[in-house]
Amino acid sequence: MNRLRLYRLVMGSLGVAFFLFGVAMVIAFFLYQRPNSTPLVPTGPVGHYFVAFTGCALIAWAGGLAGAARDPRASRSIGTMTIVVLILMAFIRMVAWVVGDYHAWLGELPRTEASGLLLLALALIWLKPTVSESVVPRVGGKA
Amino acid sequence: MILRGLASLLVAGLLVLNFVLPSSPIGVRGRDAQVRADIASALAVGEPLPPLELFDLDGRRHTREDLLGHRVLITFERSVDW
Repeated sequence: MNRLRLYRLVMGSLGVAFFLFGVAMVIAFFLYQRPNSTPLVPTGPVGHYFVAFTGCALIAWAGGLAGAARDPRASRSIGTMTIVVLILMAFIRMVAWVVGDYHAWLGELPRTEASGLLLLALALIWLKPTVSESVVPRVGGKA
Repeated sequence: MILRGLASLLVAGLLVLNFVLPSSPIGVRGRDAQVRADIASALAVGEPLPPLELFDLDGRRHTREDLLGHRVLITFERSVDW
């Protein structure tokens, strides 16, 4: 499997995963509105407000990732920003790991997730098409 | 290529840091620390209740003087408004 195909596969898989997470978060918000419901996400009304917002943003991000999987050369900036955000998410988990309160709640999970996100970011850094690879020769004269 | 190298170095550095960083013991900071401090300064059995002013779910005000002479059970619950 060549580098570009692997990149498309990773971006497409991430897109599907984020789409499913996003939809689940939006559904969790609506389910929480039922009287006497047990929340799927362990948080209150304000927390669910942000869960729904995050779900919508994830769905949008999934759309971008799908576009990058379809045409990686034309969607380099989505790859770049995905790498930046993966690193940021890993950094947030590292901070959560250092702070004792999160450790009491999540145990080793933040550190494990941070490692996974950083490895994924590292893979995307090397799989992403370069600028020179993205130049598509134009056929014909004026556009 | 230079940018890729720099980005890879950054990620590799964070990966190493991720395994080197120790997690703070529970209660060193934040909410748990506050709870432990509160428990340490809590009333002992037999000590008089300090002056207090509490509001119930209906907004009624209660003071220590209102409770004197009665057997009282006070429960505290975390509000769902967060």
